[in-house]
Amino acid sequence: MKHAGEKIVFTGSGIVCGAGTSVAEVWDRLEKGVSAVAPFTQFDGTNWPVKVAAEVLQDNRFLVSDRKLHKTIARTDMFGIYATESAIEDSGLPAYREGLGEAETNTFNDRTGLIIGSGGGNYRSNYDFLPLMTAAKAAPEGGLPYFGRELGNQVTPMWLLKNLPNNVLCHVGIRGQYKGTNACITNQCSSGVLAVAEAASAIWNNEADRIAAAGHDAPFEPEMVFYYHRLGLMSGEAPRPFDAERNGTVFGEGSAAVVLEREADAKARGAKVLGEFLGFGCCSEATGILDLEDDGDGVKRAIESALADAGITKEQVGLICAHGNGNEASDRTESMGIRSVFGEDIPPVTAFKWAYGHLIAASGIADLVMILEVLKRGVIPGIATLGEVDPLIAPFPISREAAAPRSDIALLICRGFGGMNVVLLVRGAS
Amino acid sequence: MAMIEKRRIAVTGIGMVTPVGNTAADTWAGLLEGKSGAAPTQSFDASGFSTTFSAEVKGFDAESAVPNRKLLKYASRSHRFALAAAAEALADAGIAPTEADSHRWGLAVGAGMLSVGYEDLTVVHDYAAPDGEFNADGLIDPDFPGNPVNFCRWQSNAGQGLLTKQFGIRGYATSVHTACASGGQAIGTALKVMRRGQCDYMLAGGFDSMINPTGISGFCLLGALSTDNDNPTGASRPFDATRNGFVLGEGAGFLVLEDWDKATARGAMIYAELAGDGNSLSCYRITDSPPDGNGPIQAIEQALGDAGITAAEIDYVNAHGTSTQMNDRSECAALKAVFAGRIDEVRVSSTKSSMGHLIAAAGAVEAAVCCLAIRHSLAPMNANYENPDPDCDVNLITGAPQPMRIRAALSNSLGFGGSNSSLVFRNPEEVRS
Repeated sequence: MKHAGEKIVFTGSGIVCGAGTSVAEVWDRLEKGVSAVAPFTQFDGTNWPVKVAAEVLQDNRFLVSDRKLHKTIARTDMFGIYATESAIEDSGLPAYREGLGEAETNTFNDRTGLIIGSGGGNYRSNYDFLPLMTAAKAAPEGGLPYFGRELGNQVTPMWLLKNLPNNVLCHVGIRGQYKGTNACITNQCSSGVLAVAEAASAIWNNEADRIAAAGHDAPFEPEMVFYYHRLGLMSGEAPRPFDAERNGTVFGEGSAAVVLEREADAKARGAKVLGEFLGFGCCSEATGILDLEDDGDGVKRAIESALADAGITKEQVGLICAHGNGNEASDRTESMGIRSVFGEDIPPVTAFKWAYGHLIAASGIADLVMILEVLKRGVIPGIATLGEVDPLIAPFPISREAAAPRSDIALLICRGFGGMNVVLLVRGAS
Repeated sequence: MAMIEKRRIAVTGIGMVTPVGNTAADTWAGLLEGKSGAAPTQSFDASGFSTTFSAEVKGFDAESAVPNRKLLKYASRSHRFALAAAAEALADAGIAPTEADSHRWGLAVGAGMLSVGYEDLTVVHDYAAPDGEFNADGLIDPDFPGNPVNFCRWQSNAGQGLLTKQFGIRGYATSVHTACASGGQAIGTALKVMRRGQCDYMLAGGFDSMINPTGISGFCLLGALSTDNDNPTGASRPFDATRNGFVLGEGAGFLVLEDWDKATARGAMIYAELAGDGNSLSCYRITDSPPDGNGPIQAIEQALGDAGITAAEIDYVNAHGTSTQMNDRSECAALKAVFAGRIDEVRVSSTKSSMGHLIAAAGAVEAAVCCLAIRHSLAPMNANYENPDPDCDVNLITGAPQPMRIRAALSNSLGFGGSNSSLVFRNPEEVRS
C-alpha cells in the first residue's frame, strides 16, 4: 500500500445547505426523502423559466455571529466560514489547543493548515457599480471619466476585499490563528474535493499536522440561472440523476468542511474519528470548458488512479457516491466510466443533488460529509426523485429505496467544468 | 522522522508575456535594461480614475502565438496571455504531451481576476439596471444579448479548461487563487503533485489582467495604487523611502516542470531545480502586512527546509516588493529575521519595479525570472531606487543588473488576505556537484 503506516482520518465535519445547517439535519432530509429544492426567494421568479433552487434561508447572523464581518464578506463566505468553523469545533481541536502552553500553542498554530475550495467570483458583487454606471451614462463629460472620478464617493472602499475569492481562508485563519500551509482552490465543481485531497497529501508530506478542508459556493443568482438555462443545463425541478426523464440540474448553495489529521494524533488526544481518507485520483479530459468526452474515459481514469493511490481493489468498494448532476450527457458518461471499471458488478450507487441541489464548488465535499454519515449508519438513502433508470444506463444499481453498502469503503466522484474528474476513496468509522 | 528522498524536479521551459516584453527573451532583456512597463492606460479612458496609468502588455497578438481561432473565442485577455506564455514554455522545453503520455502531464495555474469584465457588466446594466437598480427580469428580455460564450470565459477554471485542451494535458489539473500569491502557490502545488508521483511533467504558472474599469476600481478604492500620474515610469519603486503604492500590471508566466532524471536522460537544458515550496498564512489583517514579518518568515523557512538547504545557500532574492509602504517593510523584516547575520550578503531586487504588479501572475513570472537569473548568472535590478528607507535596508541591486553566480534563489509572493508563498530554485550545477 502506498501510504502504509500513516493513516489520515477525519475528526470533524460541518455543513450548511438548503437541507440543513448540521449533518444531523441534512441526514434527516435524506432519510425521509425530502428535497430542499423549492421556489426561490432571492429574486422574483414569476416570469422566469426556472423558479426553484435549494437556498440557504438562515440569516447572516445565524451563520456568522460577528456582525462587523457581514459588511466585508460576500454571501458565499458566510457559508464557508460557518461550515469550516463548525467542522473545526466538531473536531474538538479548539478545546485541545486551550490546554496547551504558549510555545506549544504557537507550534500548533503554525502546523494547522486551511485548504479552501472557493467558487471564485460572482456576478452579484459587480452590481455595486450599477448606480454609478447609470449616473455616468447621463454625465455630459462621458461615461468612464465620470465613473472614475465619482467611484470613491459611491462605492465602498472595501469592495475588493469583500469579493476576494480567498476570503474564507483569510477570515477563518485570522479568527482562529491557523497559520500553516494553505491554499484556495478555484477549480469550479472540483474545488472542494480537491481541497480534501490536497489536505490529506499535505499531511502525508508533513507540511502540516492537521488541516481543515472546505468548499463553499453561492451559485444561485440570476445571471447563473440565466446562462445555465441557456446552455440547457438547468432543470425546473429537483434533479433526477440517471433517470430516463432527467432534464438538468438545479442550484443549491452552501458549504461543507472536514478536519483531517493523522490517526495517531487523533487517538493521542482522544478525538472521535468519522472515517479515513484512503486516496484520490484527479484528471482532465482536455475537452475545454464545457465539453465532455463521450465515452466516460476521464471518469474511468480518475477511478483507476484513486484505487491505485489507495492501494485497494475495485471489489473492496462498498458504494459509489456519483456526481449525478441530472444532466443527460454528464450522467450518461459518468455511468459509462463507472461501468468500464466495475463491469456488471457495480456496488450500490447514490447521488445527493436531488436533496440539496448543485453546490458547484462545494458539491463534492458536501457529498463527502454525507457519505461519511452513510457509512457510519450503514444505510444508503434512496433517491426520492428517481422514476425509471435511463434504459441507456440500466442496469445500474441506483434506487428509490434505501440500500446497504457492501463494505465500509465509499468511492466518491466529482466532475466539473474544464473537463475535471476527481475521485476520493474513504473508509467509514468502524 | 526518517529523511525521505524527494523526487527531483527540473525547470526545462520558460514562457512569459509581460508589460516589458511579449516573450521570455524580450522580458529578460527589458528587465536587464531596467525598462519600465508603465505608461498612461491605453485600453480604456482612465482619465477620471485616481490612477491613470498602468503597466499594460503592448502589441500582443494572440493569434500568432496560438493559432487556434475557435479556442481563442472563449479566451479572455488574461487567458490569451496564458495560452501564449504556455506555448512558449513548451516550445522552449522542446517537449509536449503525446497520445502516449498525456495522462502523465499535469497543469497548475494561478487564475487571475475571477469576475466579469466591464463590457459584460455594461450589457447587464443596460438591460437589467438602466436606472441603477438591478432587476433580474431584464436578463430574460428576448433582446438581452448575454452570450453563453462570455459566461464560459468567466468560469473560475476557464483558463485551466482552455490550457488543458490546447495542449492535450490529461493528468492532474488545478486552478488556484490566493490573490497576489496565486502564481507562486500554483508552482508550489505542481511541485507537490510531481513529488508524489501523480505526474512526470507539468505546466505551471499564472495569468491575470485586471487593467479594466472594474478591475482597477477595486484597487483605486483601496488606495493601493501609486497615484504618480505625472511619472508612471518612476512610480513603482519598491523599498524606496518615497514609495506610495503599486503599479498594476498584467500578463502571464509559465514553467515546464519535468522529472529531473527524465530531463537529464533526454539531454534537456535545465534552467534550475524547483527545489522547495513554503506556504503560510499571516493571520494578521486582510490588507495589512504583519510589521514583524511573522507569516512570511514561516513561508521562507518552510521553503528552505523543503529544498533541504539553509539560508546560507541563498544568494539572490526576488522579492514580492510591491512598492507599498507596509508590504515592503514587512518583507524586509522577514528577510532580516531569516538571513540574520548574512543579510548583507544576500542580493535582493523586486522586478515589480519594471513590470509592475501582475497580481495572480506575479509569482509565476517572478519564478521564471529567478530561473533566468540562475541560468545567466545575472540578477536583475530593483529599478527606480533613489531614497534609502532605514526599514528596508536590505542589499538591493540598483542601477544595473548584478553579475553573480547564484547557488540558489528565493522568490516570495505575499498576497492580500495573508497567504504567503515562497519558492526556492537551485542552480543545476549545485545539484550535480
